[in-house]
Amino acid sequence: MSQHPRPSRLAAATLALALSTGAAGAHYGMIIPTTPMLGQKDGRSVGLTLSFSHPFELDGMVLEMPEAFSVTHEGETTDLTGDLVEATVMGQPGYTLDYPIARPGTYVFAMTPQPYWEPADDAFITHYTKTYVSAFGEDEGWDIELGLKTEIVPISKPFGLWAGNVFQGTVLFDGAPSPFAEVEVEFYNEEGTATVPSELMVTQTIKADEEGIFTYATPAAGWWGFAALTTAEEPMMFEGEEKDHELGAVIWVRFEEWG
Amino acid sequence: MTQTFEHLARGFRALLIALALGFAASGAHAHGLNVFAFVENGEVVVEARFSSGRVPTEGTVRIYDDADILVATMALSEDGALRFPLTGAARESGLRIEVDAGSGHRDYWLLTPADIAAGLDASG
Repeated sequence: MSQHPRPSRLAAATLALALSTGAAGAHYGMIIPTTPMLGQKDGRSVGLTLSFSHPFELDGMVLEMPEAFSVTHEGETTDLTGDLVEATVMGQPGYTLDYPIARPGTYVFAMTPQPYWEPADDAFITHYTKTYVSAFGEDEGWDIELGLKTEIVPISKPFGLWAGNVFQGTVLFDGAPSPFAEVEVEFYNEEGTATVPSELMVTQTIKADEEGIFTYATPAAGWWGFAALTTAEEPMMFEGEEKDHELGAVIWVRFEEWG
Repeated sequence: MTQTFEHLARGFRALLIALALGFAASGAHAHGLNVFAFVENGEVVVEARFSSGRVPTEGTVRIYDDADILVATMALSEDGALRFPLTGAARESGLRIEVDAGSGHRDYWLLTPADIAAGLDASG
């Protein structure tokens, strides 16, 4: 009986090492709710966890107190920044919040973080991050634009999606569609059980079309992060030098297991 | 910390069972009617809306107690809402409020004792 070469203990160990160093994945602002669809049997509040992380490798970074954290419901935006509670998320400072839900409808949670200095990229990073919670069976308001510096406005309703469904969104920058914007896609490897055959697959990259619309089909259930990245026209100063400022429009969407 | 439904519905076991049965029997989510209820100024306010955003202009509202016994039947107003006084017993035990807008459009809201207490607190 012939022996097939076993790709792999060494390769797997090498990959695991590479992943453990946090080199493979992308940065993501994260807002993860306890559920994207709050039913009446689930209680009357939703828990939210805010972080800045490499979601596939579960590698946390420091999230300073955000410049803003808000919820928008039925056209009204409420500032929640002062309600955030310090927490440790993926081993680093982050925040949590238990937000009471009083009425049905879609609640859009949005975070504007402080710019994060990333020496490895020699740049500052600001990820305008959103997620959505539908409460008590109503879903209106999921497609509104919040007016962030840059944001992804969903074309697919950003909850109630099956694993394998495509997700579509429009990338906006200063309120206008961003043609051919680059969108990075990464899975929140919450249980730490997902593996990849190559570190190239930790973060997948797609491009929007000429109208700023992108499409991605998820292979598995769970939370998926979409980050449309742009370099700001205005650099930021660091130790007397001008540095690039990466602006990210991030949206977190949960896909449910079929059946 | 997120409150669980079990916590909210402490002492509300019969309605929990009714809720489970209701999911099985009524097909509550199949026809796009959504029902919500809350307490305001000592009254129970019932709101019904289709998933399209439109409101049913007529329908029957059935009120069940914590043993899931029908205690009242009323008509939905033309604006898809209904208000009725909160009685003493219901304050402690909660209610299941079902709206039947016809043609299979039926859904309910479980107004728990915790919901009632929160509504009474908010109203002063």
